[in-house]
Amino acid sequence: MQNQLLQQGVELMLYGMGTVLTFLVLLIIATTIMSSFLQRFAKPEPAAKPAEATKLSGNDDHLIAAISAAIHKYRIRHKK
Amino acid sequence: MDKLLSLWYDSGIYQMASGQFIMMLVCLLLLYLAIKRGFEPLLLVPIGFGGLLANIPAAGLAFSAVENAINSGSPDVLQALAQSLQLASWESGKDIYYAYESASASLHVLAEQTAKDLGFLNGMLYNFYNISIASGAAPLIIFMGVGSMTDFGPLLANPKTLLLGAAAQFGIFATVLGALGLTALGLMDFSLADAAAIGIIGGADGPTAIYVASLLAPDLLGAIAVAAYSYMALVPLIQPPIMRALTTEKERQIVMVQLRPISKLEKVCFPLVLLILVALFLPSAAPLLGMFCLGNLMRECGVVDRLSDTTQNALINITTIFLGLSVGSKLSADKFLDLKTLGILLLGIVAFAIGTACGVLMAKLMNKVSKTPINPLIGSAGVSAVPMAARVSNRVGLNANPQNFLLMHAMGPNVAGVIGSAVAAGVMISLVGG
Repeated sequence: MQNQLLQQGVELMLYGMGTVLTFLVLLIIATTIMSSFLQRFAKPEPAAKPAEATKLSGNDDHLIAAISAAIHKYRIRHKK
Repeated sequence: MDKLLSLWYDSGIYQMASGQFIMMLVCLLLLYLAIKRGFEPLLLVPIGFGGLLANIPAAGLAFSAVENAINSGSPDVLQALAQSLQLASWESGKDIYYAYESASASLHVLAEQTAKDLGFLNGMLYNFYNISIASGAAPLIIFMGVGSMTDFGPLLANPKTLLLGAAAQFGIFATVLGALGLTALGLMDFSLADAAAIGIIGGADGPTAIYVASLLAPDLLGAIAVAAYSYMALVPLIQPPIMRALTTEKERQIVMVQLRPISKLEKVCFPLVLLILVALFLPSAAPLLGMFCLGNLMRECGVVDRLSDTTQNALINITTIFLGLSVGSKLSADKFLDLKTLGILLLGIVAFAIGTACGVLMAKLMNKVSKTPINPLIGSAGVSAVPMAARVSNRVGLNANPQNFLLMHAMGPNVAGVIGSAVAAGVMISLVGG
């Protein structure tokens, strides 16, 4: 009886661990396939950010002028 | 004078049993650990307080109407119940209770109705337990909330880390064997279902542990939930010694390559892919992983921000309160003050330790085989316990090399551990419960 219980435990361990490993390996395969498929369609988000920053660089002089004017005004207003 | 006496007989002090008193002290200890030491306070405060309420003598908050009727001890009530259960002879309320437990379905309902007709009601906590845990609802709703708080980005960037989440589940099954070994040695008395429910503590995932325990071993639920949440709070103490013992200084210093950025499209599709795999191969894990995927899809799809916000804040908080109180209602003396509880606490920590060790060893193996370096420290995060286990990996890594931030790398195995323990739970339910 007790040996039978232990045997059931060993069986549960083999089946259980086998299932967990198999399932997650399948998930790895599925995820890899999905990613390689989808990467053709969508560009990753963070990569887009530096591109935007370079676009702005043309207006640098205007931007710096505007910012320094604003800072100047702010300083005058908050002097007291 | 008579009135004074009857008031005294009704008082809590007169009716307090020693077991209830000890349980109240245990619950106060839980409250102390939660409030003063910060042990998973979100759960241990309601659990501890629920335990206090459940052990108030004569209030019967954790009992059903029939149990309350029996506990009232009035001879007329007992006679009526015995009659409804077709019990010819009985000596005390206990006999009636056992008859009620083993009665056929129709007599069971009859006894319940009799108790209700006599004016006895189900206790408040008993109702909470039935609605939230016995029905399976609360752990699943919490799992949906966890899903909507989970970012699968690090996992998608490095899918191999799913293997670490799988390896760390070995702790669960080793503990099942340990529990059955204790039974075989005659030290404890666990059935296969009990052992399976205890093993799940090693999954380091509260809702999963409660869900499995409510299906396989409702009697042990209180002890299992308390053990699971206490050990989750102790992750920063339990894991580092094991991690240091199994790795060399050089391995701990390994710097991993930066993760690639993940597009939104991939994040939206991942929960659907996961759900399809569950539907195809492991339907018994569908309740847990289904709710998890729903929560994650709501988070990532970006068109139902209101729903996602509710699931990860309001809904999960409400559910946590009722889940905690319901778990607390199972902290009654006759079920908790038992040698089994000691066994569960002991096996729980073994489960944690083995899971951590297997995760680290698997990561070492992967580091040997894989082209890109893998720091073995992230393996320990495979036991889930999000995000605590990942933070521990990060901290131990920083100790070895102050420039080495492993947090994002460890989040991959960490969420893989959640999937892994849900899968393990599904296997347990279908193999043991079915």
